[in-house]
Amino acid sequence: MASKEELIEKLKEGVVEYEEDTVNEASQQWLDDGHEALEGIMEGLAAGMEIVGDLYDKQEYFVPEVLMCADALYGGLDILRPHVPEKEGGPKAQVVIGSIQGDVHDIGKNLVKMMFDVAGWDVHDLGRDVPLENFVSEQLKTDSEVVAMSAMMTTTMLGMKKVIKMIKDKNPDVAIMLGGAPVTKDVANLFGADGYAESAGNAVSEGIKMIGRLREYQKKD
Amino acid sequence: MAELTPKERVLRLLRKEPIDTMPFFSGMGMVVMPGIEKSGYNFPTVHTDAERMAWSAIWSARLMNFDCVVIPYDMTMESEAMGNTISLYADSEDILYPTIPNKIWSTLDEVEIPDKIWEKGRLPILADAIKIIKENAPELAIGCWQLGPFTQAGQVLELDLMLKGIFKQKEKVENILDKISDMIIDIGKWLQASGCDYITLREPGVAADLLSPKTFKNFIQPRLTRILAGWESPKLLHICGKTEPLLAMMSECGADGLTVDIKCDVKKGREILGPDVLFMGNIDTYTMTCDEKTPKDKAIEHIKGMIDGGIDAVMPGCDLWPAIIEENMKACVDTTHEYGKNPSPAVGRL
Ligand code: B12
Repeated sequence: MASKEELIEKLKEGVVEYEEDTVNEASQQWLDDGHEALEGIMEGLAAGMEIVGDLYDKQEYFVPEVLMCADALYGGLDILRPHVPEKEGGPKAQVVIGSIQGDVHDIGKNLVKMMFDVAGWDVHDLGRDVPLENFVSEQLKTDSEVVAMSAMMTTTMLGMKKVIKMIKDKNPDVAIMLGGAPVTKDVANLFGADGYAESAGNAVSEGIKMIGRLREYQKKD
Repeated sequence: MAELTPKERVLRLLRKEPIDTMPFFSGMGMVVMPGIEKSGYNFPTVHTDAERMAWSAIWSARLMNFDCVVIPYDMTMESEAMGNTISLYADSEDILYPTIPNKIWSTLDEVEIPDKIWEKGRLPILADAIKIIKENAPELAIGCWQLGPFTQAGQVLELDLMLKGIFKQKEKVENILDKISDMIIDIGKWLQASGCDYITLREPGVAADLLSPKTFKNFIQPRLTRILAGWESPKLLHICGKTEPLLAMMSECGADGLTVDIKCDVKKGREILGPDVLFMGNIDTYTMTCDEKTPKDKAIEHIKGMIDGGIDAVMPGCDLWPAIIEENMKACVDTTHEYGKNPSPAVGRL
């Protein structure tokens, strides 16, 4: 029988080597052996994805490899996630995510979405080329704390400014996060967003920080 | 020394014959709002009608002093002709290019290319538009383009499928790339027969930001080479993104010239290619031509920098974004014509 450490290694390696079967088997074994699902997700799957991120930065992996790693990760997540008790899943939060109108680039957006999935958030994915109003209506419908928008073109990026205004007019308590290649921290500030992350890796922590900041701000009022 | 017409200037450059001064032209979209407005149309309607396409192209070139017109403007014509529905965003106030919101095919097995695809969808407009441009603006060079097979596959299928398929379904991916390459050759030949003066094969989805140079070598380079061999000269090859690792391979594909975008340092690029390769680029098509915060002088420096860096003609690194700052755009073109009077590495002067 594989030890706990060995299983963690398998989960990690399976993600890094994009071996879906290995990840699925190790995830099932993890549960069968009575380990805590959340630990498997964080120390195994997410830790594997972190290595993948490093390999991508070093140009050892390119986008195809990253997408296959993501598939392997989702296989494990589907098995483990249902076994995470509600309260343990960290700050249970909701995020509305999508690529802005006119922009069909969604590879980066999907990686960001994956990080929220890993972190156990409820993710409402509107897909790509999302009409501006849909971000507003979906946020209202789901009462999500965070709206995350992706733009890959300097030009579609301008639509995000409009959405921010539309959302803030209706509901100033929503934290809005921007990302995508042409978006910078300065742009995010200028547009009136609450947060920005350069890559998928730090999107979730930025999301949590944003919610924290907003809560503090509200307490002061 | 007699001054050349824009068309002569471009065509002589593409044959590496001496010219009077450096042309400002492109292998990709050159339509700009002042031209669209002058022709009396709005953006969503110039993609679907030959007259509108032709006149918006002609006016864009005339008002800005471009040496060429380039059609079409959007990347969805072939995919539409294969049965997909496009979004034109007719009601949007913003400039949005047509896209394919949902694709009819969801697996690598379904791709099927209709016979004589150039007779389908909006493609026939291109031949009509070329005719109108030739009649009304014979002084301008007419450029047309085709997407490369990998990028085109991304217009027909989810790009994820192709990307992952490189590793997991190699044969199917190769098969699709081959089928699409055949189509690209055919459409290119038809565009040339319809009268376009030069053609560009643009494969933006394969640079080293997305695929490894090894994948480029194994999957992409052989097909680009085959497509270019199937076309008459003059023919160009354009790749966006991190192209420095690919330039040497690009120059083996058989194009008459190579074009790159802002992510390529043209000085380094010229070093890699040597002095004989026709090498063009690489205006930053947002910062220099659209961003209100960029002063005209900075745009001028940008152009001089790339000429000094060793390019043979100034080209936008991508489709020009139509919402230009006119002053900056004109300064870019004028600087090219004025500062480009000396010979460039691959092309002499009259
Ligand atoms: C793949 C691609 C395409 C594919 C898209 C397929 C798809 N399903 O996504 C296709 C072929 C369809 C395409 C089409 C076009 N494209 Co394109 N495309 C690219 C390319 C090569 C790679 C993008 C990518 O996926 N990168 C990989 C991912 C992993 O990185 P990423 O997207 O940056 O995401 C990371 C971060 O940005 C961040 N992030 C992203 N979103 C978010 C959101 C949040 C909330 C957060 C926190 C973080 C975050 O996290 C991600 C992971 O770390 C880029 C060039 C480049 N190097 O960026 C051009 C590029 C984005 N495209 C460009 C253009 C212009 C176009 C076209 C107009 C045509 C053209 N002339 O090439 C069309 C327009 C389509 C449309 N209307 O949207 C330009 C944009 C220029 C600009 N600045 O405006 C680029 C930069 C190429 C270039 N140099 O010209 N394209």
